[in-house]
Amino acid sequence: MARDPASPSFVPLARAYRRQGLHEAAIRVCLRALERQPEHVEGHVLLGALYLETGDLERASDEWSIVLRLEPDHFDAHRGLGFFYLERGDPEDAERHLSRAAQLRPEDPAVAEALRLARERRAAGADRRPVHRDPTAVFGPLEEDAAFQGAFVVDGQGLVLAGSLKEGGAGRAVRLGAILGETLAEAIRMVEHLSLGGWEGVLLRTEQSTVQVSPLGREWSLVVVAAPDAPDGWLRRTTSQAAELARAYLADNHE
Amino acid sequence: MSNDLARAVDRLSRIPGVRGALVADAAAGVPVVESVADGVAGPAVVALAASLYRCAAAASENAGLGAMGPVQVDAGAGHVIIIGAGDLLLVIVAEKGAQLGLLLLEAQRVAEALP
Repeated sequence: MARDPASPSFVPLARAYRRQGLHEAAIRVCLRALERQPEHVEGHVLLGALYLETGDLERASDEWSIVLRLEPDHFDAHRGLGFFYLERGDPEDAERHLSRAAQLRPEDPAVAEALRLARERRAAGADRRPVHRDPTAVFGPLEEDAAFQGAFVVDGQGLVLAGSLKEGGAGRAVRLGAILGETLAEAIRMVEHLSLGGWEGVLLRTEQSTVQVSPLGREWSLVVVAAPDAPDGWLRRTTSQAAELARAYLADNHE
Repeated sequence: MSNDLARAVDRLSRIPGVRGALVADAAAGVPVVESVADGVAGPAVVALAASLYRCAAAASENAGLGAMGPVQVDAGAGHVIIIGAGDLLLVIVAEKGAQLGLLLLEAQRVAEALP
């Protein structure tokens, strides 16, 4: 790879960097290789995922657009752009991409739900009615508690549907959601391998925060971020309250 | 050193509801000392736990959340707790009904005492 930047082996190398959390190195590998192989679809898909995980949604969407020029029916690119436009408050473009994604994979529940949401928002806009609720304010009732740092709802690929963080807002939630996706997948893989039944939660205690990830139905996960010293009992209760708010939001947006 | 580790995992494995306590090499993902009940595959537990912990630690760093502390995975039939201690990992597999508060307290003590 070092001798030949055009080597097709750049994708496994970039993936290996990504698995180790070395996103900048993985991005450099992809960029260097894609200069020589600009039509390498898998490379652009991977670069889009890397940008998503580093919080650079604009660049991620650029990569997905390139993918669609090369391969107009690429599911991941339609899905990523659909969520991107939904997040940006552009339900028309969101619906266009999510419809195509839903045609390509009708069994994907997260796409189906996001498509319903995009259609509802578009209809609300067309009727000049306000969108039912601000997705970034879903967990507002919990924000008065000093230990609560934020919460958001995320799909299986780490794309945020609703919620935000007190510090950094919705943008930081999007970044954290993307970054946590792989950790959650590893945790679920471990639970399955060890035959521990269905996963019920993953709790990460870090220097700056406590992060509780819990399943929310079959297709979504709830991420609650709290102070690093938040007691377990408080966290459990707050997660339960956040789950109720998230379910209410999802139910409101399905009606 | 291995006697100390063996005593530590033995102490943890005696807590009611604990099905396995293991100290592992974090980088290699292999057990150093283990005390596990029948049916708990120590090497597999450690390999999966080490991989998850590496992933979580990288995520924490990338997200600006600082150093990784304990990781707890809850499932329908039990829990897995992973605590990093330098080059080592302490991994505990517990049943659903285990006293998590007591277990976490004791696990933290053991992890802090690891060399």
